[in-house]
Amino acid sequence: MEYFIQQLINGLTLGGVYALIALGYTMVYGVIQLINFAHGEFFAAGGYMGVIVLSYFAGLGYMETHPVFCLTASFALSMAFCAYLAIGVEKIAYKPLRKESRLAALLSALGMSIFLSNGLMLTQGVYDKAYPSELFQGGLSFGLVTVSYLQMLIVCLTGALLVGLNILVFKTKIGMAMRATAQDKTMSALVSISSNRIISLTFAIGAGLAAAAGIMVGLYYGSVRYDMGFVPGIKAFAAAVLGGIGNITGAMVGGLIIGMVEIFGAGYLSGEYKDVFAFIILIAVLYFKPTGIMGENIDDTRV
Amino acid sequence: MRKKSITLLIMGLMIVPFLVTMAAAKTLHIGSMSPLTGPYASDGTDIKNGVLTAIEVFEEAGGVPGYDKIELHAQDTACDPRQAVASANKLINLEVAGVIGAYCSSSTIPASTTLDEESIPMITPASTNEKVTDRGLEYMFRMCGRDDDQAPASAKFMKESLQAKSIFIVDDKTTYSQGLADGVKKSCNELGIKVLAHEHVNQGDKDFSAILTMAKTANADVLYMSLQGFSPGSMMAIQAKRLGVKSQIVTQDAMFQPKFMEVAKDAAEGIYLTYGFTDPTTPEYKAFEKRYVPKYGAIAAYATYAYDSATALLKAIKAAGSTDPAKIKAELMKMEFAGVSKHVKFKANGDTGSSYIAFKIIDGKFVPYWDPEKGLLK
Repeated sequence: MEYFIQQLINGLTLGGVYALIALGYTMVYGVIQLINFAHGEFFAAGGYMGVIVLSYFAGLGYMETHPVFCLTASFALSMAFCAYLAIGVEKIAYKPLRKESRLAALLSALGMSIFLSNGLMLTQGVYDKAYPSELFQGGLSFGLVTVSYLQMLIVCLTGALLVGLNILVFKTKIGMAMRATAQDKTMSALVSISSNRIISLTFAIGAGLAAAAGIMVGLYYGSVRYDMGFVPGIKAFAAAVLGGIGNITGAMVGGLIIGMVEIFGAGYLSGEYKDVFAFIILIAVLYFKPTGIMGENIDDTRV
Repeated sequence: MRKKSITLLIMGLMIVPFLVTMAAAKTLHIGSMSPLTGPYASDGTDIKNGVLTAIEVFEEAGGVPGYDKIELHAQDTACDPRQAVASANKLINLEVAGVIGAYCSSSTIPASTTLDEESIPMITPASTNEKVTDRGLEYMFRMCGRDDDQAPASAKFMKESLQAKSIFIVDDKTTYSQGLADGVKKSCNELGIKVLAHEHVNQGDKDFSAILTMAKTANADVLYMSLQGFSPGSMMAIQAKRLGVKSQIVTQDAMFQPKFMEVAKDAAEGIYLTYGFTDPTTPEYKAFEKRYVPKYGAIAAYATYAYDSATALLKAIKAAGSTDPAKIKAELMKMEFAGVSKHVKFKANGDTGSSYIAFKIIDGKFVPYWDPEKGLLK
């Protein structure tokens, strides 16, 4: 039983990270029907920005005296940085191709992904960058079950971001504008919603969430490296598709399912085939429900 | 118009001396193969830097007679067997006199077959799998040790020094890591250490919580961590500590990287690893350190082996007086010198022998701890 609960907590942590990244894929797809393959790189860039800011504060010695401030500042700066990065990427790589075939933008996204990850390698080096480890050492033990403070932080923060995003999309004017743009760009333009601004905003929010995930992964696993965006990017993409691409709640559910399946597959069946289990679930769901768990009619996508 | 043509003429004349020197200059081409991108880029870059340092030292000492300069063609194998073969073919086209590399055994094995067909000598500074030199290739050499020496040394250490009775083995399914894990398993069975489980993870994984939860439940005396590269190793060490895994972690040569402690920090403390013994007090090591560290940073696992490999190759070319592979090989077999990593003397199969000892990580440093012959050190 303890074994089960421990694996459940492991799965929840990993699933939460996947969910945060998956949201970026699904939101962008919802608005412009593009699979933004460069999204994993925003996650990596966020992780790097976090380590740069935190190391700077650690160097000044603020880490011991004002840990909460340091953490908040690193999240804020890194999310803002990635948001602007994403807006820039969209303007350079996707906007000129918006009228072209979808394949052109998709290839542009793949190219952007390679460009960004190599850019990270050239500017930050090939070695892993270690996160300052003063924060959140230790955890709580209940018998054989150990829950680290970091796991608690990740789960709580992920939850808060997901709730925040839901409020933004479904309860505010901006969210309404986003949903309107996703449904019909021409019609929403007629009621004076600037689709360019909404698309930029969508990219910015998605990249901001990925950046938050990047810092959490950096804190949790202790280090970041330039190619860290690739594997989680693919998994999160799978999560978005599993949940029904274009659907925000679907991406969250999909992320949690992929994370759980991976951990339980490794824990109970076989560690070397854990990715296989995750993708078997994906194939099985798509076989019976091609639009994903919560996906709606493909022609009628929503944010 | 006339003015213009005169200017052009003068400019043309100015280029002539360059053309002449270029025609007279003869360049010795050598190749290196290691992962410069991808998950093992850090170790691969160390190899390239080691080779570059060797060339620099050699050129300062007068270079190779008949050549004005030595040029390195550093190829990126990305630890991918296909890309390794493609790099080998590229180096063949560049007519290199010899190759230092590769890093992953799974790259070295296919690439060496390709190079051997063209009779190009290859010296690997890092591939420890037995098959590298056991296939009877004419031009395959190895500067580092062998897994079938490392695995028994590691098992013997666990038995004698740690008095381990049970072991939980994890590898990440590369030729190197799995080969070594299988070797440790075999040696443990022979020595009577009970192998509770042999689990696998994937290359590129970051999250090991599922496997480590299994290890925690199994609660073996030793957790043997066989991973390709320090990067997954440091993450596994951190997660093991966080999960409260009580088993003693023992690992291998791929973790011999100062970056391992930099990332894992206090989670690295007390971990044991087997690595070829290198004496850091020799004048050769000190001279290398003085040259390498300011330029490239701390010396990691394979920089010294890469340096010695390149030095051996260049010495052989110089002694042979040509790039004829048969002559280079003859010189390599004859040579004996004090290298940075070890005393270099090639055996008939191309190996230079192993000298595995156990190190312990104490205060963020690798400290020699136990020798298979002498027992506890210090």
